[in-house]
Amino acid sequence: MALADFAVSLVTFIAIYGLFALGLNLKFGFTGLIDFGHVAYFMVGGYVTAVLTMPAQVTGYDGLGGYALPAMLAVVPGGDVLGWLLGVAGGMVAAALVSLLVGVPTLRLREDYLAITALGIATILNEVVRNEVWLFNGPFGIRTIHQPASGVFPLGLGSFTLNLVVLGGLSVLVIAYAGYRVGGYVKDVDTTGAGLGLASVAVLGGAIGALTQGGSLLVVGVALAAVGVALVREAVRRSTEPERTLALVVALAVAAWYFVQPLLAASNPTVTLQTNVMFLFDPVAGPNGGLDYDRFFMLLSLAFLVGGYWWCQRTINSPYGRVLRAVRDDEDVPRALGKETFRYKIQALLFGSALAGAAGSLYTIHLGFISPDQFGAMITFFAFSSVIIGGTANNAGVVLGTAVFWSINSGTQFLNDYFPSEYAVQLAAARLIFIGVLLIVILYYRPEGILGEQDYDIRLPGEDPVPSRDETAAAAGGDADD
Amino acid sequence: MVDTGLLDALAQGLVTGTIIAAGAIGLSLVYSIAEVPNFAHGDMITVGAYFALVVNRPAEISLLPGLPGGAVSLVVAGVFALVAASAFGALYELAIFRRFRSKEADLITMVIVSLGLALVLRNLVLFVAGSRNIAYETPVVRDVNWDLYLTGSGLTVQRTQRQAGDIALLGEWGYPLWLLLGIVAAAAGVGYGVYRWRSTDDDFRTVHLVSPRVLGVLGGLATLLALAYALRFGPQGTDALWSTRIGTSYKDIVIVVIVAVAMFLLNLVLKATRLGKGMRATADNMDLAEVRGVDVNRVQLVVWVIAGLLTALAGVLAGWSASNVNPNMGFTLLLPVFAAVILGGIRSPYGAAAGAILIGISMDVGVYLLPSGLATYRTAIAFVVLIGVLLVKPDGIWGDV
Repeated sequence: MALADFAVSLVTFIAIYGLFALGLNLKFGFTGLIDFGHVAYFMVGGYVTAVLTMPAQVTGYDGLGGYALPAMLAVVPGGDVLGWLLGVAGGMVAAALVSLLVGVPTLRLREDYLAITALGIATILNEVVRNEVWLFNGPFGIRTIHQPASGVFPLGLGSFTLNLVVLGGLSVLVIAYAGYRVGGYVKDVDTTGAGLGLASVAVLGGAIGALTQGGSLLVVGVALAAVGVALVREAVRRSTEPERTLALVVALAVAAWYFVQPLLAASNPTVTLQTNVMFLFDPVAGPNGGLDYDRFFMLLSLAFLVGGYWWCQRTINSPYGRVLRAVRDDEDVPRALGKETFRYKIQALLFGSALAGAAGSLYTIHLGFISPDQFGAMITFFAFSSVIIGGTANNAGVVLGTAVFWSINSGTQFLNDYFPSEYAVQLAAARLIFIGVLLIVILYYRPEGILGEQDYDIRLPGEDPVPSRDETAAAAGGDADD
Repeated sequence: MVDTGLLDALAQGLVTGTIIAAGAIGLSLVYSIAEVPNFAHGDMITVGAYFALVVNRPAEISLLPGLPGGAVSLVVAGVFALVAASAFGALYELAIFRRFRSKEADLITMVIVSLGLALVLRNLVLFVAGSRNIAYETPVVRDVNWDLYLTGSGLTVQRTQRQAGDIALLGEWGYPLWLLLGIVAAAAGVGYGVYRWRSTDDDFRTVHLVSPRVLGVLGGLATLLALAYALRFGPQGTDALWSTRIGTSYKDIVIVVIVAVAMFLLNLVLKATRLGKGMRATADNMDLAEVRGVDVNRVQLVVWVIAGLLTALAGVLAGWSASNVNPNMGFTLLLPVFAAVILGGIRSPYGAAAGAILIGISMDVGVYLLPSGLATYRTAIAFVVLIGVLLVKPDGIWGDV
């Protein structure tokens, strides 16, 4: 598998779980509800969407449905996608309704009671789906997942050259823009941090290189890795702005992995590099190459993530969001001001669960098959880890945390190739041990996460606004009124 | 032929409840004294069970091939597990929770920290031992059935056992009706008498080592068993008006006795030692206890060591009872354990024990009463009971004691 395919899959994963974690952040980060049963709504969304969009009478499926919404709407132009979107909406509504049923009795409980009750209810719901074959086919799951607009792909523009130029050009533009933004962010890093960061990336790269060679070089690799981690730590400790240094290290590491590693490793370096750079263009999809379904689905998932993010930002920065945060910080205060706090909690639960439901719909397409095993309590804990790593009550941080989490969890899967296959369980366990330790370490040294709690648009009178360039310019003009 | 019935489900539930209790008491202690809602408790139970496995069947642990020694009896392995798990309990406190406490971490942070610890522990087990189901190396224990026949003239008891496909009769005796009523009356009388004797001149300063109610129940039970053993008459026939079978084994009895002894010892520590007094004071109000000269750090360390001991006990007993040890066993126990603790009022170890018995019995009796297709929802029953109780009494049955 080319690196570009892996990156596409990883980004899709991050987009889906990012949406899922945004839903959790709305509940946990902004409203203070420890919902350890978040995965239940993911599951409900996925199953309901799958059933609503699935054709009727599928062999090997004995559950409810097959309501075939896309096929019914196929007479309308674009009915296929419209039907699928209706299915997603159905999944979101179902997830919200289930969370309403769960929330009304449990949301009055204390926070730790709520956590365990939610965990229990999610476990029970998973058991129900597993045991009741008449509901969603029980343990056998659903294998016919509707893929919206799958007939159109691979999408080409006619000729190979045109495809190459347009899609490849778009890919290059995206990479360039990402590089520009990251460059702008890390520009202000002090030299010590930058030097140490660069050195650490080089050492860590060497460590991975040595590790993959195996044999006696394993020891060297482990030693180099230790040195690299120590260097990162030092870089972060010595710099005035740890976030920027960390971002620099990550950006360098990703760039080295994505652009430099193919030049060293692959048998055909230039072609591999070309595929990586023009990630949107798949030369073997269709007669003339083009945009294949995986890449389209990545874009679709990202569109959902952006939509969810925008919507969360709007909510949080509104007066409504301010009440949610007040409920989190001290429930008695908004109550004293006449807010029906219970209603706000329920609404936060509904919205967060609906986002989880949408993420579940996308998840089913990404995997192409769902069964109750995929919705264990671990998924909730992964989302909690993502939220805390990135920054609780910070939507951008949550997406970043999801990226970090899944990069660690999936990005290290290439190590599997270098170990005998009987150690696969051990490797998976080692990854999760690492993540658990990371979670505890972050909570100890930086409980607010990588980015910390976000700033809000609305400020209290008397609170200093964050000086931005425009405002400092205005202040120099002398029209400040305080 | 007799069938198992409600009494059998009750006996099963009692055993389930005692295993849950071993986990629940530790969880409740950690919650009330160390102020950690410990979501890692389930995985601590798993770790305890695997400690015994390391000594009991070292060849089964994939990362530890060819340990010297080989199979050691489960008793020795269990003792090793207790020691190792208590050391780990101390490790959790010193390496993690003491640091967070010194930073005055809030409840939510502690929940998430314990979640991280749970992730680490469960995957540590997976890393070292793999994901297979393993059973302890122990002598085979056969179930003994107690068949009860209530006839017009009295009660007949048959002890039977399935041996090589046939039901073998091990013993048979009975009680005439008048004697049966007499024994029950005597037991009730002794129980009530003990209760009255212990609770006379009770005032709010009295600290009972064992509460009069528990002593009363125990006294009644002891009288019942002693009389029933001493006054065995001939069988009263088997043309029964009502008959039932209770299946049990010496495993069950050992489990109940061990947990009961552990509970008594813990009770002794809490009520009769200076350290226990410090623990109770810390549970009440940590700052006040510290001001009054209680070494809070030492108390916390002891609490985690005791919690480690109890998790190992629960793990080994659960693994032995089910003849199955696997990396998920603790997590499956976590839900009923939490249900028991919340049901009993999360701050009271005594409430936790009572809640555990209640949860265990309601799980097994619930499975017996429900149609057979719903038997897989055993854990769900615990939660339905919990949610039902919380809706009525949001602080649990015992309240925040």
